[in-house]
Amino acid sequence: MRAMAARDLSPRRAAALGLFVAVMLLLPLLVNAYIVSVLVVVLFSAYFGQSWNIMTGFAGQLSLGHALYVGLGAYTSAALFVHFGLLPWLGMLAGMAVAALAGGAIAALSFRFRVGGVYFALLTIAFAEFTRILFDHFGWVGATEGLFLPVANLAHDDPLRLRGSPRMFYYLLLALSLAALALSHHLLNRRVGYYWQAIREDEEAARALGIDVFRYKVAAMALSAAMTALGGGVLAFYDNNLYPDTVFAMSRSIEIITAPIIGGLGTLFGPVLGAVLLTGLGEIMTNLSNAAEISGLKQWFYGAALLAIVALQPSGLWPWLRRRLGLEEGRR
Amino acid sequence: MRHTLTRRDFGLGATASGALLAGTGRARAAIRPIKLGSLLPRSGYEAPIGQSCQRAVELAKKMLPEMGHAIEIVDVDTESKPEVARTQAEKLIREGVEMLVGAFDSGQSFAIAQVAEQHGIPFVINIAADPAITEQGFKYVFRNFPTSVMLGTQGLARFNDLFTATGASPKTAVLMVVNDTFGQTMLRGIHALMPKANLPFEIVDTISYDPQAKDLSIEVAKAKAAKADLLMAVTRLTDVILIVREMVKQRYEPMGIISPGSPGMYQTQFVKVLGKYADYAITNIPWLDPKQAFAHRFEAAFNQAYPGEVCTLDAGFTFEGFVICADAYKRAGSTRPQALVEALKATNIKERVMIGGPITFDAKGQNVNLPSAVVQIRGGKPIVVLPAENAELAPIFPVPGWSQRG
Repeated sequence: MRAMAARDLSPRRAAALGLFVAVMLLLPLLVNAYIVSVLVVVLFSAYFGQSWNIMTGFAGQLSLGHALYVGLGAYTSAALFVHFGLLPWLGMLAGMAVAALAGGAIAALSFRFRVGGVYFALLTIAFAEFTRILFDHFGWVGATEGLFLPVANLAHDDPLRLRGSPRMFYYLLLALSLAALALSHHLLNRRVGYYWQAIREDEEAARALGIDVFRYKVAAMALSAAMTALGGGVLAFYDNNLYPDTVFAMSRSIEIITAPIIGGLGTLFGPVLGAVLLTGLGEIMTNLSNAAEISGLKQWFYGAALLAIVALQPSGLWPWLRRRLGLEEGRR
Repeated sequence: MRHTLTRRDFGLGATASGALLAGTGRARAAIRPIKLGSLLPRSGYEAPIGQSCQRAVELAKKMLPEMGHAIEIVDVDTESKPEVARTQAEKLIREGVEMLVGAFDSGQSFAIAQVAEQHGIPFVINIAADPAITEQGFKYVFRNFPTSVMLGTQGLARFNDLFTATGASPKTAVLMVVNDTFGQTMLRGIHALMPKANLPFEIVDTISYDPQAKDLSIEVAKAKAAKADLLMAVTRLTDVILIVREMVKQRYEPMGIISPGSPGMYQTQFVKVLGKYADYAITNIPWLDPKQAFAHRFEAAFNQAYPGEVCTLDAGFTFEGFVICADAYKRAGSTRPQALVEALKATNIKERVMIGGPITFDAKGQNVNLPSAVVQIRGGKPIVVLPAENAELAPIFPVPGWSQRG
């Protein structure tokens, strides 16, 4: 069985985590607006990766259509804000509920009829694409013309209404990512976490041991969808405009899964590490390609990085780095 | 006669010297090149059009300094993603860029507009049609491109001009529309404007299709079955190539295929891929003015630098974006954002590349002097055939059938 989180943090690991949090808290105060905007992208990637990791990394069910839940969360909170003036936080709760229902329904339908493996993955793509086309014709949320949130250039950040600077969004996303980390750690050390990992490793054996496989797989999907939708809500208020073609895009689903795969599927810190590396190096590649006037260098880099990781470190970079740093987690 | 220096003389002299010094200072300030940032989707799914716009950026780097404008252009790739457009705009501003130009796409332009507003940096949109961009109350955003509503209105108005000029008048039309942001905005515009446009034909069927469709044979068969005189098409590039191929295959020969203002049928790839079947396709769209000396200079430079490529409105509007910035800087005599914004508000550029009146901006930062021309592919090239005062050739309508072409 793959490495998992230990019940308690060792002093060394606690110190490393504390240092990481301290650096992340101080970072926006030390860097310029451009770096803050890149860090916001890093945190979006980390948070979405963590949310997807619950479904695929912990419970072993491959979802390739997580853009669906980003879109549901984004559109629900944005539409409620635009049409009824509902506070973004309440809208995001509604978005989480909608996504959890959608995710749960998709999972229930699939798993009830024993759709698994690659067929389940294809089904998640199909639902995301179907919803994209549906939203292309959904006039209430602007259809293909897009949904625009009123832009406000306030002198001060307004976290209640999510109107503010990229720095405010940075801290909000940092809080969400840390919360997702804590929740993942907590779940992995509870019965549900053990059940998910048992299902991931051998579904039939888990069923034979009396685990309600259907129930726990649906729960993983609903939780993962709800968490993703919360990030989608923040994305809506950060971007201030939503188009079905970009929010529900297949490319977004692929980007969501890249960071956890690079960082380490099923690990707690893998999605965060993957997001930092991919976005950071991606940004360097973007700037290099601009300087060298070679368009698309970043896409080449992404492909090469994926190939290299799959070939050299198939379990991702975090397990390898963790060993190097002496932060090995407990094994069961 | 002896002349003594009075207090009034001293005052006048001081004022004149001050004005002279201020003028010198302004002239000196104007010598420093203003740093302009270009943001275009040069990679990703919008790369073909982004690259088409980029050619104009390269020409602006060369031509504007030759015209006496002190400019320096830093260009970046938005990778067809709003989040990259946003971070790259932040980076450009961080690097000292004083005005921004871009970004072809409405989502990316909106992302850049927010950064421009936060930092108080003027942003000139070269191409982006979503009306919502100039409805946000942005103070630093200016757009020299028609909104989708303007495109629809102007595009429909040109239909009657074409029918009057050729004496041919279809009674029915079938409308094929790509189901994306642009297509659906145009569709709504067409439905809203048709009753007022006083067109001689009625739309008997509207066929909407997915922008990512790889086969449009069913849609074309449906259009053919409508037996309409005219095919109206709101398309992108790849889909309109599929449509025309299917029309040839299915021997569907309406009086013509006319776009009321969408991309596709004037682009290099359309002509290269379809050859003789691309000929006579009509698009009602803003276009380079063949009667303007400045447009000739630009097109000549374009053709010299990029032989085999068609100089389209993408290049024309992108080039004008930089002309607008250079002109504003020249008049402002300063790189202060507020001075540049005031200069942009007072823009009145008569010597244009594109067809239309002088470039001016309304209170929302929108240029409203952006009429459409009737552009017909003739001999593999997009040619302005209407309005008559800008036309290079007379329009041909109805168009020859597929089998009657060379």
